Amino acid sequence: MQSKLRHFALAAVSVVALVACGKKEPPAPPPAPPAPAPAPAPAPAPVGVSLSAVTLGKAVGADKKVAAASETFAKGDTIYASIDTSGAGSATLVAKWTYSKDGKTVPVKEDSATITPSGPATSEFHISKPDGWPAGDYGVEILLDGKSVATKSFKVQ
Amino acid sequence: MSDMPDFSNVKSGSSSTATKLYEVKSGDSLSRIAKNEYGDASKWPQIFEANKDILKDPNKIFPGQKLKIPPLA
Repeated sequence: MQSKLRHFALAAVSVVALVACGKKEPPAPPPAPPAPAPAPAPAPAPVGVSLSAVTLGKAVGADKKVAAASETFAKGDTIYASIDTSGAGSATLVAKWTYSKDGKTVPVKEDSATITPSGPATSEFHISKPDGWPAGDYGVEILLDGKSVATKSFKVQ
Repeated sequence: MSDMPDFSNVKSGSSSTATKLYEVKSGDSLSRIAKNEYGDASKWPQIFEANKDILKDPNKIFPGQKLKIPPLA
């Protein structure tokens, strides 16, 4: 009888030991969800002002655009250069008017204008000569913030 | 002696649909600036209105001041 009791006790101790050894750690917490991807950067806004087009003509409207483009002018014409720009900010436009004869070029007039557009804009430069333009070849160079961005040639007949 | 024409009497100007910036020169007045920029000296109040943040008196402008020249309404 005592032997049976001893066996029972040993068995009980073994069971307890086995249970203790088999005790599992609590399950690891689920991995944290990955950090959300950073929001895509907004599309960069157009930087500064850039030139879109230069058109020559004999008159401009209230929108500063030339209605009828021309590259040939008469002696008494006022000559307009209409300049379309895009973008916003501050920019300095320069118009350098020149006259060429026999391979020589001389300045006629130079004007500048600083504009502060908030979007597409049109600016104009114009020249006139009270006693009339000498016939010949002329040109106008447009600079934007000091850089030459367009050149147009025209004739006075 | 150059055989190139004389361009010293060429007149010029500019305007824009965007606001222009104008740096005041010695001897300028708002009416003179309006005459040069708009071709009409009587339009000077438009320049004054656009620059009320820096101009308190339309008769007091100073060389070096940068004035906004709004497009003609």
